[in-house]
Amino acid sequence: MRALLIFALALLPTYQVVAADAAAPVTIGTKGYVWNKLTPERAEVLRKTADAARGQEAFRGCRGCHKQDAFGRVDGTYPRLTGQHASVIVKQLTDIRAGLRLNPKMEPFISTDAVSVDEIADIAAYLSTLTTIKENGKGPGDQVRVGETLYTQKGCIKCHGSRGEGNGDKLYPALAAQHYSYLLREMEMIRTMARGNSHPDMVVALRDLSPAEMEALADYLARLPDRRQAK
Amino acid sequence: MTQYGRTVAESMQHRRPDHQIMSRLLPLLALVATLSVPLAVKAEEVPNTLCTGCHNEDGNSTAPEFPKLAGLDSAYITKQITDFKKYKRVSEIMGPMAAQIPDADVPKLAAYFSKQKRTTGTVGVVTDARLASLGQQIYDDGIVNSAVPACAGCHGEKGEGTDLFPRLAGQHTVYILTQLNNFKNIVRNNDAKKVMRAIASRMTDQEMKAAAEYITSIKGE
Repeated sequence: MRALLIFALALLPTYQVVAADAAAPVTIGTKGYVWNKLTPERAEVLRKTADAARGQEAFRGCRGCHKQDAFGRVDGTYPRLTGQHASVIVKQLTDIRAGLRLNPKMEPFISTDAVSVDEIADIAAYLSTLTTIKENGKGPGDQVRVGETLYTQKGCIKCHGSRGEGNGDKLYPALAAQHYSYLLREMEMIRTMARGNSHPDMVVALRDLSPAEMEALADYLARLPDRRQAK
Repeated sequence: MTQYGRTVAESMQHRRPDHQIMSRLLPLLALVATLSVPLAVKAEEVPNTLCTGCHNEDGNSTAPEFPKLAGLDSAYITKQITDFKKYKRVSEIMGPMAAQIPDADVPKLAAYFSKQKRTTGTVGVVTDARLASLGQQIYDDGIVNSAVPACAGCHGEKGEGTDLFPRLAGQHTVYILTQLNNFKNIVRNNDAKKVMRAIASRMTDQEMKAAAEYITSIKGE
């Protein structure tokens, strides 16, 4: 009995440290924030052998919002997932679970109760197999040139690429042909640091844009061809 | 939401009292009953007749409080009976009932009811068409403002369900509503992934009623 008590006491400080870590995720704006920090769970996902067939089954729970073909909604309520880099999908899913990306709408459906670590790997693999290309949501279309200029001027092009194709190895998302309203909403959340897990340079790049410039940029990106078509 | 409220209030005014509907339907019901006798599944085929008092021989209960079992996936039926036995799904009626089902009968019952053909609608109740059409929007497309996913995502576009997600097509409105409320109030908490609790907690009473009305009317495959 005494041995058990000593054992329990020995565990106590460790437990408290873990609990404190879990309670306060280091999001953007917090001291020590690293935008692409490899969380323990993401590391675990990356070690898994992914299976697209199992991913298709697991994706069933996502279809209520992201739809059968993972194309989301053209009104931008839910993003399209097809055409995104698998590494980015994994980062976003694990970041939401770690409380780094703040997304209360999605949280119950990607919680550890709902989706296992294996399933995250499988879902990302499944999404990479989808080839459907459809008409995405676009903006008014009259400021696309302004958007194009801003894309270069603000340095977006350096990371997201000349065709908005992103870079999977560096965890930079593909932006081309994403739904306009989704892009606009996320840009707004990024610059106010409400998205939680963004690259700090993104906040700087977007900070001083006017609403009209934000719209122009989002429309330009929405009108770029899907990265799988552009090659 | 207020738009939904008006729809409900208006539609309620057009609703006949139940007894009036019943008196009009009785002759028809009698005819249906007579016609369907030779077609009915023979009682001896049911692995355990304990169930048939409420759920009927063909698994299409006529009492709207009792769910239709016909066409549910056998794995889903097995899970529910097992959960009732262990009081992981708590029901004053089904708890004691499930306790009387021998373990060996559970897979047989599950297989039997999964093979029965699901009917549509609730006898004696006319589907509220306007509410059902709102329900169809929710079923097919979800509710954008409150981030309610489309039912179709998991339960199938025709409500056919899978081993994890129950068949909904044709299920009684009353039963669906009770379950949605049970999930919302966490009276029912045996949804392994907590997903239905999350979804129901985002739905208003009117939205739940609309979805339930539509579900009853789905013909399935």
